Amino acid sequence: MHHTQDKSSALGQGVIIFVFLGALTLLEYFIAVAVNNTPLLIVVAIVKAALVLYYYMHIGSLNDDDHGAGHESYAYKTGTDRLGLWLFLLSDAFVFLGLGVARFNLLGLTRPELAQLFGLFVTNVLLISSFSMNRAETLMAHGDTKGFMNWSLITMILGLGFFVGVVVIEWHTIPAIAEPVLILFGEHAGFVPLTASGTAMGAIFFMMTGMHAFHVLTGLALLQVVRSKAGKGYYSAEKHWGVEAATIYWHFVDVVWIFFYPALYLIGKLV
Amino acid sequence: MGGALFVTLMRWLLPIALPTVFSPMPLFDTQFFFREPAWLFGGLMGVLCFVWYHGVMDDWYQWARGIDTPEHHEDKPGIEKYFGPSLDHKVIGIQYTVTALALLVIGGTFALIFRTELAASRLQFLTLEFRLFEQNGLQLYNSLMSLHGMIMIVSILLGVAAMMNYLVPLLIGAHDMAFPRLNAFSFWVAPPAAILLVSALILGGFDTGWTGYPPLSAKAPLGIDMFFLGVFTAGWSSILGSLNLIATTLRMRAKGMTAFRMPIFVWASIATSLIALTATQLIGLSFQLVAFQRVLHMGFFDPDKGGNPVLFQHLFWFYSHPAVYVFILPGLGIVSELLPVFARKPLFGYKWIAMSSLAIALVGFVVWAHHMFTSGMNEYLRVPFMYSTLLVAIPTGVKFFSWVATIWGGKIDTPTPMLFVLGAIVVFLLGGITGPPNATVSVDLHLHDTYYVVGHFHDTLFGGFVFPFFAALYFWFPKATGKRMNETLGKIHFWLMTPAFLTLSFGMMRIGLLGMRRRIADYDPALGFDNMHLVLTISGFLIALSILIFFYNLVISIKRGEPATGNLWNSRSPEWQVVSPMPAHNYDVPFEVVGEPYDYGLAGSKYIEFITPKKK
Repeated sequence: MHHTQDKSSALGQGVIIFVFLGALTLLEYFIAVAVNNTPLLIVVAIVKAALVLYYYMHIGSLNDDDHGAGHESYAYKTGTDRLGLWLFLLSDAFVFLGLGVARFNLLGLTRPELAQLFGLFVTNVLLISSFSMNRAETLMAHGDTKGFMNWSLITMILGLGFFVGVVVIEWHTIPAIAEPVLILFGEHAGFVPLTASGTAMGAIFFMMTGMHAFHVLTGLALLQVVRSKAGKGYYSAEKHWGVEAATIYWHFVDVVWIFFYPALYLIGKLV
Repeated sequence: MGGALFVTLMRWLLPIALPTVFSPMPLFDTQFFFREPAWLFGGLMGVLCFVWYHGVMDDWYQWARGIDTPEHHEDKPGIEKYFGPSLDHKVIGIQYTVTALALLVIGGTFALIFRTELAASRLQFLTLEFRLFEQNGLQLYNSLMSLHGMIMIVSILLGVAAMMNYLVPLLIGAHDMAFPRLNAFSFWVAPPAAILLVSALILGGFDTGWTGYPPLSAKAPLGIDMFFLGVFTAGWSSILGSLNLIATTLRMRAKGMTAFRMPIFVWASIATSLIALTATQLIGLSFQLVAFQRVLHMGFFDPDKGGNPVLFQHLFWFYSHPAVYVFILPGLGIVSELLPVFARKPLFGYKWIAMSSLAIALVGFVVWAHHMFTSGMNEYLRVPFMYSTLLVAIPTGVKFFSWVATIWGGKIDTPTPMLFVLGAIVVFLLGGITGPPNATVSVDLHLHDTYYVVGHFHDTLFGGFVFPFFAALYFWFPKATGKRMNETLGKIHFWLMTPAFLTLSFGMMRIGLLGMRRRIADYDPALGFDNMHLVLTISGFLIALSILIFFYNLVISIKRGEPATGNLWNSRSPEWQVVSPMPAHNYDVPFEVVGEPYDYGLAGSKYIEFITPKKK
């Protein structure tokens, strides 16, 4: 299990992985601007997702040998819960897979006109929230409830920021707020935003970002539940499955965006 | 109650609230006097509120507040426990069974209604003048025909869940499923889903067939929304149920039960669950996209807006073809499970059967486009999908050869369950060998949308699900009740249903080959199909009669069946080594697997041994 690692090296690992993820995100942005090579963008996305799955979501812990502890022990039951959660994520991934297939079926190698720098900005907000969540969980695994409360609060603020960025600003839900912000991020004045009911391109853009935003919201709700329990001292270094579950789910939402971001913003020719 | 209240409330509130929230999106008036988004949202909330107020999520709510609850709740004794959110997998299994049978009756009744209309050419009673639920006779025919398909599918999904829920924990020696509360949730979303499906009939019906292809489904009456919602929520049941089953099998097996010492039905359940866990999301997504196209005018499948109707078919069939393996694999598992018991011989090629279930499930993921040979998809996709589809015949053939080899030279006993097992083998064989012509592109271009296809899939579903399901009911009824079902009535059920069904499916295939199209309410008398259609209708009613006999048998056997508390079928399976009906928490004394599961007739062989507690 990951909390056998000592605290400072576990925290340090989180930082290093975050640096890698940030660098790869910038790299993919420049690949898109400079050469726009689709296979290369997909490879970068897969590498990013693999880093999150392995180092932040601890997919390897599915393989932990916990039979020695006995079927009624907390460790064994947590192992079963963990398997259940991963099976759920596998199932959920097929929704996003279906949306990805729909996007390439409808749009092929073209993409909608979106505020590029703003997309990069919200992507990084979500990425940083994954980092802060990793930090929160690592602290909890070492019994630091206060540290967990602080870092998970940062995560929630960043997550809410991402949600507002997509649903209020990128969607143009409230034009009076959206337009000045997008112009600030380099969008030319008088641009025509996508609409859900306009073209199929708009429809699939709203569907993909909307389904993802829905998962961000549920992730925030889970975090809030876990935080309120942690505040009452419910979790300890030995028993914090709830924290682990909310963390894995939060990272999963990030992994989905790792694929959706290039699919919507980077891959293909602008129409 | 709360759910119904909420639906009503939403119906009044949403038409006011929605236009203000989504003001840029024009809300259109349907041909009805109410607004469509309100019904969609209200229906969804209705399901959630029903589940919430029924107490299914009480423990989760307590956990979220940081209050732990005991792992098991003791059920109320008697019949009352079947109406509440019980956590016992055996109770949930029976709840599933009863719901599945109820839907079987509803779906079957729908079939009898339109089958009667088809008995002779020209329109008899479902005419243009006939009106019911805002629909004329022809629209009603379409609604009944479409709902027959989907209600039967949901009935089969629940029947499959019934068998897996009741049997798998018993077969692997677990005290319950891995997630008992999730199990209760999976069941309790099913009844509201069924109600939503049936409500489609009252809310204007729909004319798309069970496949709901756009553009037709994008323009159908409001009924299609209830159909979408019903399938969507039934999908949750299927997804969460299979998640639970996989976790249970991987984590809760008895000591010594290695992968290749698991009962064969458990292998079939795992294969089924892998499909249901993942692919089900795609039918949910495809229906959700059409619903959004209807209420939010998003143009996914609207060519005017750059959408693509064929995309829907890809998403839809990615689930709906593997779904037929969800329907049949557990049934075939039942056949493999019961044959050795009644042939008193080891199951031939255990590992091959186990692997063939997994192989069918995996190949099943890459065959979907064989439903689309005529739909205008890219032609280069046809041949690869033809070959991948034909590939399914190999693992299926493995099962047949193994069954034949198991029966060969056995001391065969034929009580009712075994009759249904043998019936399943025969009927599924016919369903299986009529499949490859459909998979072959050149032939399928002619067979597509004819009664040949209808006959073929009724054969596979009867052979793969209905016969094995009845076999399982007759076989495990004593385990659940401590009484056995009446043998004579059981045999009458079998000998009435089997010939009637074979006549039905052969007749369908015959007129299909001669050019009878599916899904239509009327046909040209000059085609000369009148006599055959009359025979088909009579066969349909005979099947219904046999099912009535089954229900009569069920009721009198529960009331005053012959007591059977021991190992009635002389089975080696662990659940028969303890008393019937099964104790509340299954095995009071845990067991250990010490041998092979199906070594019937081998002297001195043993499958399980109870671990007697050491004296202190």
